[in-house]
Amino acid sequence: MTESRYYIVAEHLFCTEADDSFLPLMDNYKPFLHDISRTDGEPCPPLLFSLNVTKGRITGYTEEFSQEEEGQDIICGHTAEDHPVFEFRWDGNTAGWLVCTPDYRQGTLHLSGYEVKSALDNSLMILFAMASACTGTALFHAAAVSLEGRGYMFLGKSGTGKSTHAGLWRKYIPGSGLMNDDNPAVRVKPDGTAMVYGTPWSGKTPCYRNVSAPLGGIVLLSQAPYNRITRLEGIGAYAAVVPSISGKRWDTRIADGLHYTENALASHIPVWHLDCLPDAEAARLCKETITV
Amino acid sequence: MKIKKGFVLRQVCGENVIVGEGLDAINFGRMLCLNETAAWIWKKAQDTGDFTVESLTQALCQEYDVTPEQALNDVKETIDNWIGIGVIE
Repeated sequence: MTESRYYIVAEHLFCTEADDSFLPLMDNYKPFLHDISRTDGEPCPPLLFSLNVTKGRITGYTEEFSQEEEGQDIICGHTAEDHPVFEFRWDGNTAGWLVCTPDYRQGTLHLSGYEVKSALDNSLMILFAMASACTGTALFHAAAVSLEGRGYMFLGKSGTGKSTHAGLWRKYIPGSGLMNDDNPAVRVKPDGTAMVYGTPWSGKTPCYRNVSAPLGGIVLLSQAPYNRITRLEGIGAYAAVVPSISGKRWDTRIADGLHYTENALASHIPVWHLDCLPDAEAARLCKETITV
Repeated sequence: MKIKKGFVLRQVCGENVIVGEGLDAINFGRMLCLNETAAWIWKKAQDTGDFTVESLTQALCQEYDVTPEQALNDVKETIDNWIGIGVIE
């Protein structure tokens, strides 16, 4: 039976319409479930997008670009009607095709039956990132920790040690907690401040916490045989932030939206570069420098 | 000459920066900072579509109070730099 479910992530509301047999695959979304029939409490934000999940194939599309990461290929393209398509392939096998409306307000995921959960998670991440790009929101590739009511994000290329550094905070910085290990969301506010949010997407670490905090700082990590932290300003800060946000930048509207968010972050949020070892001193140096 | 597809002039923290955003420029992987004159030349080149050193020099002279020699030097230097980096063709 098809069931509609509503979720709120980073103060954005979205909907999934899927057969209830898919629900066991969506435990990571549970903390974000929203009962739209409830009228008490916080006012409900407007619907950002909805995803319809179905079985089957699509008849073909034109490929534009493909990116490969950790055994997974995402191929971007468009249908004859110019609707964006994303195909998810694992080890050469297609898990599904996501077909979106040009404004990313609606998507349909056609599942092949292979790697169903990955296809679902990828589709929701893509729709979330694209549909929210023009609202001062960005889905990061980062680890996020909290300390004393503020959130801090660690950026870096895959394999740099974002999770490791977040783990060192948890181990050696009393009172710190993991907000998200792989894909936190950020929203910039009109006054230049920003909030960081936990999401249902957290890579290999099951950390699906519905938490948020004012963003206190962003740290780009590099591996080094020593620990050293320096402040990045202006274009340096912008250049540190941009590669950690995935988006379809060849879609001008999305590129403009992401640029606004990235520029606001580079202008108003402290950005740092940490050359580090995977040790306690790195976490302490980072904490002492960025939490002032 | 013309600016290659996919390159965009952005204002980053008050400065002019060229970034690669289009499909043809997605692997540019760097940011190019422009001073005010270079940014003006970029916008002019973008608006013109197909440009020459002469057409940009003439436009620069009309906009700014510079000698034709100075304008020609500025445009040549800027364009040579952009050819070297690969943002125009």
